[in-house]
Amino acid sequence: MAAVANTDKMICPSCRVEMNHHCDKLVYTSHPQDAGQSDPNLGGIIEEFHTCPKCGGGASRHA
Amino acid sequence: MEASRALFIPVILGTARVGRMSLHAARLVTGELSKCVGVETDLIDIAKLPLPTNDAGEAIKQADFSANMSKADALVVVSPEYNHGYSGLLKHVLDSCLKEYIHKAVGIVGVSAGPFGGTRVIQNLLPVMRELGLVTIFWDVNFSSVQKVFTEDGRLLDESYIRRIDKFLKELIWMAKTLRQGREQISLD
Repeated sequence: MAAVANTDKMICPSCRVEMNHHCDKLVYTSHPQDAGQSDPNLGGIIEEFHTCPKCGGGASRHA
Repeated sequence: MEASRALFIPVILGTARVGRMSLHAARLVTGELSKCVGVETDLIDIAKLPLPTNDAGEAIKQADFSANMSKADALVVVSPEYNHGYSGLLKHVLDSCLKEYIHKAVGIVGVSAGPFGGTRVIQNLLPVMRELGLVTIFWDVNFSSVQKVFTEDGRLLDESYIRRIDKFLKELIWMAKTLRQGREQISLD
């Protein structure tokens, strides 16, 4: 199954404000549980990285 | 962005070897960083991190180290050169985090007993830093013949290193500020 971009904004758990999505990273994994999330065109999982503009805290999630 | 937030730039001492002269270099850089306005720092000694060696990567993430890397806006890695490379323990520690490093600046300080000041270990660390999502700066600090740079108890014998460290830190702080702005304000979308 191809990964589908998650368009919902992440919310900072500390500040309750929208976080800034500033990076996607291609991650290769051998875990069987991640197999279905692999993007067939890229060969791995896209991990999104978000940062809170208020406190600078970071978070990530699969795209 | 809250401009009043201080930058946090910890210094990672990348060796656990007994008698390591890199400790003196790490303390010197930490001391110079602590003089910079708007910067907080800390010396992280990898010898003191309780990481297991029966697994690797994010599976062995250590809470305090992870929190420090999350809080950091930039890093300084002080690494001795052992047989042209970095210590296995440094790589083990660095690999325990990933999301904590993304779009943060890193400067590398090479230390060697020989004349090349850790240039080869710095070159070997660059691709590792890149894959971790860190952004390397183009200033390095090279401690050549480190046994002549410091006394055994860590007193600096060559004051020219202060100016080199100052230039290195100025570049690192500029990159830290710029990348903080990018992480917090500039969207990928």
